[in-house]
Amino acid sequence: MSLITVGCDIGSLFSKAVVLEADRPGGAGRLLASRTVETTGTIAARIPELIAGVLEQAGADPGAVDTVAATGRGAALVEIAEFTEEEMVCVGVAARSRLPEVDRVVEIGGQSITALRIDAEGDVLDFIRNDKCASGSGRFLEVMSEAIGVPIAELDRHASRATRTTELSAQCGVFVESEVITHLNAGEAPANIGAGLCDSVARIVVSQIKRLGAPAPGAGFTLTGGVARLRTVVDRIWERVPELVLVPFPLDPQLAAALGAALLAAE
Amino acid sequence: MASSIFCGVDVGSLTAQAVVLQGGRVLGARSIRVKPSPVDSARAVIGDLFTACDLTREAVTRTVATGYGRQTLEERGLADANISEISCHGTGAHHLLPSVRTIIDIGGQDAKVIRVDEHGGIVDFVMNDKCASGTGRFLELMSRTLGVELEELGELARGARRIEELTSRCSIFCETEVLHALQRGVDRRDLAAGITRAIGERAAALARRLGIEPETTMSGGVAKNAAVRVELERLLNLRLLACPADPQIVGALGAAVLAAQGEPGR
Repeated sequence: MSLITVGCDIGSLFSKAVVLEADRPGGAGRLLASRTVETTGTIAARIPELIAGVLEQAGADPGAVDTVAATGRGAALVEIAEFTEEEMVCVGVAARSRLPEVDRVVEIGGQSITALRIDAEGDVLDFIRNDKCASGSGRFLEVMSEAIGVPIAELDRHASRATRTTELSAQCGVFVESEVITHLNAGEAPANIGAGLCDSVARIVVSQIKRLGAPAPGAGFTLTGGVARLRTVVDRIWERVPELVLVPFPLDPQLAAALGAALLAAE
Repeated sequence: MASSIFCGVDVGSLTAQAVVLQGGRVLGARSIRVKPSPVDSARAVIGDLFTACDLTREAVTRTVATGYGRQTLEERGLADANISEISCHGTGAHHLLPSVRTIIDIGGQDAKVIRVDEHGGIVDFVMNDKCASGTGRFLELMSRTLGVELEELGELARGARRIEELTSRCSIFCETEVLHALQRGVDRRDLAAGITRAIGERAAALARRLGIEPETTMSGGVAKNAAVRVELERLLNLRLLACPADPQIVGALGAAVLAAQGEPGR
């Protein structure tokens, strides 16, 4: 008999919900539907609507849902959830279920970057997390996109057309913003600055990957979280760690934590 | 015959200051918003000041530059020498307050804590110029988010009934936090108090890293915010000496004093 579970990831910038159909407890399951909305100050009141919406999209009857699990910064706001789990645990489970060959995952979320090493079961062996500073996070790119007048959804497309990479030296997002404005005023093309921003993110992410220690020969890694949707960021990261094998997350990487929560709910 | 006139110019990230000194007394001081380049800023602020004091360039014996682009200012002939901000702030504070031993300077884009000896010589210093939290930029961002002028933030904080503490350290995260709090209907005055506490904590942490020796004063643009001063006094458990001049001109004043002393550039 199949199980229907819902995973909710209430992140700092986006809230995601997925519906999973598993043919057996602990199975990889099939993603039936997903929904992503912006997280605002009123997200708590909008969670029931988010879940109802994704269930409707999946064609699933709310009564047929076996378990709801929540993760992310706002996990506690999901009142209907039977349990909550750490985001990085969910990401590890999701990566293992879809990618048996990877042993490290870097989740680049709205307000944090977490690099983790996972074992054969998808359990987290160790991790390095930065959630104190916006540098390299989704919020960082959001602020910078606004500064160059490009919607965040278009940033990757712009960056891919860059003729060169604008060098941005500051680490702090606030100071990078000043640098960006100086370059814009000097007539630099937003596309080139966009490439520079993606490069800044890559620099920060790679320093975290390296802090996880030397990889096993031929070890694979994957990138998850909203920022991993940006091809330019992904490419720039890989350019800097050619010794690692990059295995793209086979679904929308922004859904990884929500998927992990749904997988745990099915166990 | 009147004694010689000396000038100090300090280009910061947000404002530029110039001071002229004659016989150890401040003849005049000016502060302006920065122009696109340090050279333009220096030229404008010196020009303004000379007009206001009815001075000509030739009347000034020696000019010292400090702050951003201080080397360029010397190369371009706008100053006879350039001296580090740390030395100028130390000297300026000592000139105003001879008993001062610790200076907490919070500028637009950095924060420094400087310890000086009884002659105003630098003993030691710490600086944060890597992270915007704890600098004037943080306050600027937060006031923009609250929808008030930077100059109004301190007054707003003083009207708070409770302190809405910010949990983030990063300026960018604090901005989101403040926005969400506003959406939840949190009083802007309580948020202003939380913002004041946040910057006070960063400055206090920096000061503790160096160690504080009385007497202590505050300089830089942020020192104009009375709520921040009060918060810092509470956190460090001390009374700050009131800066007898505009706290924003301390660096430029120090540059002018060093110009009068004929200090070689460094």
